[in-house]
Amino acid sequence: MRKVTLMILSTVAVLVLLFSYRTSTGGGQVSSARTAAAGGSTPGAAPDASGGTVLTGPVVDTRWGPVQVQVTVQGGKIVKVVTPQLPSGNNRDRQINDQAVPILVQETIQAQSARIDGVSGATVTSDGYVQSLQAALDKAGG
Amino acid sequence: MSTTVRGARALAIPRPPHRWWGELALGAAFCSLLVVVALWVAGRGLQSMTGPGGALTSLGRLTGLVSADLLLVQILLMARIPWVERWFGLDTLARRHRLVGFWSFWLMVTHVGLITFGYAADQGTGVLGQLWDLVLGYPGMLLATAGTLALIVVVVLSVRAARRRLRYESWHLIHLYAYLGVALALPHQLWTGADFASPAAQAYWWSAYLGTLTAVLVFRVGTPLWRSWRHQLRVTAVVPEGPGVVSVHLTGQRLHELPVRAGQFFLWRFLDGPGWSRAHPYSLSAAPRVDALRITVKSLGDGSTRVAGLRPGTRVLVEGPYGAVTADRGQGGKSLLITAGVGITALRGLLDELPGGVTLLHRVRDRREVVFGRELDWYAANRGLRLFLLEGPRGPGWLPAHMSAVDDATALRRMVPDLLAHDVFVCGPPAWMDAVRESLRTCGVPPDHIHTERFAW
Repeated sequence: MRKVTLMILSTVAVLVLLFSYRTSTGGGQVSSARTAAAGGSTPGAAPDASGGTVLTGPVVDTRWGPVQVQVTVQGGKIVKVVTPQLPSGNNRDRQINDQAVPILVQETIQAQSARIDGVSGATVTSDGYVQSLQAALDKAGG
Repeated sequence: MSTTVRGARALAIPRPPHRWWGELALGAAFCSLLVVVALWVAGRGLQSMTGPGGALTSLGRLTGLVSADLLLVQILLMARIPWVERWFGLDTLARRHRLVGFWSFWLMVTHVGLITFGYAADQGTGVLGQLWDLVLGYPGMLLATAGTLALIVVVVLSVRAARRRLRYESWHLIHLYAYLGVALALPHQLWTGADFASPAAQAYWWSAYLGTLTAVLVFRVGTPLWRSWRHQLRVTAVVPEGPGVVSVHLTGQRLHELPVRAGQFFLWRFLDGPGWSRAHPYSLSAAPRVDALRITVKSLGDGSTRVAGLRPGTRVLVEGPYGAVTADRGQGGKSLLITAGVGITALRGLLDELPGGVTLLHRVRDRREVVFGRELDWYAANRGLRLFLLEGPRGPGWLPAHMSAVDDATALRRMVPDLLAHDVFVCGPPAWMDAVRESLRTCGVPPDHIHTERFAW
């Protein structure tokens, strides 16, 4: 019986250590907590140096982490889009975003709205992007 | 003596199993695989196969999904779901569990390999660096790695060569880590799994996981505890039957509610001191009665030798009843029982429940080994049992040496001329049973007329 006790104790010990690791207690939330603490932009509208308006969308929490979109509107047109926050929990997230975000930005400037297709293979980020973008543009309208 | 083993049968006769119980179980396993592959297709599994990296990753997803599904099937096979067990029998389920286990294991290994190579190809990184990044950087992946290691240990120790070197207790204890392995693999499926995002996929996987957990808790843990508590089984007497063979008589409460039939077995735990935790499978050696059960055990080492020393009053825990070899599995016509040595203990109870027209071929080395001699004589005199005692040293096949003038199949046909009108029940050592089965096949007995139970698992 002592062998069994030893086995149970060491199993519990290993499990506790495993669950103490940062990736073991949640998916996207881990990286969102970190980046949010590092400071995203606060949602809102602010004038920028070149006379346009910078509209900042809310941080959208996706399964892979936070997505936030900031658009610069000049003369009623979207001229610039940046993403202050993107999922960056691991290399694959970064790699997928590196490919997908330029396409999303280009689509946005072409469509001049949040009605864009999204990028296949990065559907989660695309959804978060569209949501944050729409909220940012709503501020301009309202 | 004979009045304690004959007489009224237990009142609750469990319903005979329906053929469709088996079909339904197989159908459910098949459908679960179909759903998993369909979810992968719906999740753009085929479209993602662009470029070498995409193809590897997408196939990696598929193998991972199928592997996860088979892991659950494998657990369900050992969950002792009554309807499934009653149709297939615990021995068949254990063999299927082993087969499905190796399949799910190799698919899991393939999944790990394909995903690692796929991600590495996408990102142009080295494979080992990629693996390192996967394990430490991705949500739930450290847990999944630990789970994978647990499953690897379980599988390696289940390979026959390793299994033989281990005590059963140690092997079984380590085998329980498979549950841990499956549980640890779950977080990475939820947090990184591309195929767990859609509502349909979530509904499927959550019900599969929770359903499996429920089945294990209810049938593997709950039912045995409940039955042991409700029936309060105790040893009433231990009676010698022959050289090294004893019968244990038991009684308990509300035995009429116990859904057991002659020919079935329980996993027994006698609370007689240290070492009680190992369960032993013993068949009922007489039809169950409202007030008594009987098992007959030959001492073969470890636990079976202890049985002879059991004291009346010893409490007993049981799992079961299990076993598919029951009288209701026959077609209702004549029956042929073929047994070797103590194999007769598993089929002896059937004599009480089979409709009649029973022939028993009983193989022993020496007449002195025969157990239940008086009971068999009673059945021969009063119930028309045709009894052939096949006595003598081993021959080339399953019959004794002195009968080897003709081959076994011919000898069998001479003893039982209308063999094809019989349902055949066989119990003995595994290799001997294979030889019997071979002869039956040669004589043209259809496989579904042959009923066997293998205890070597």
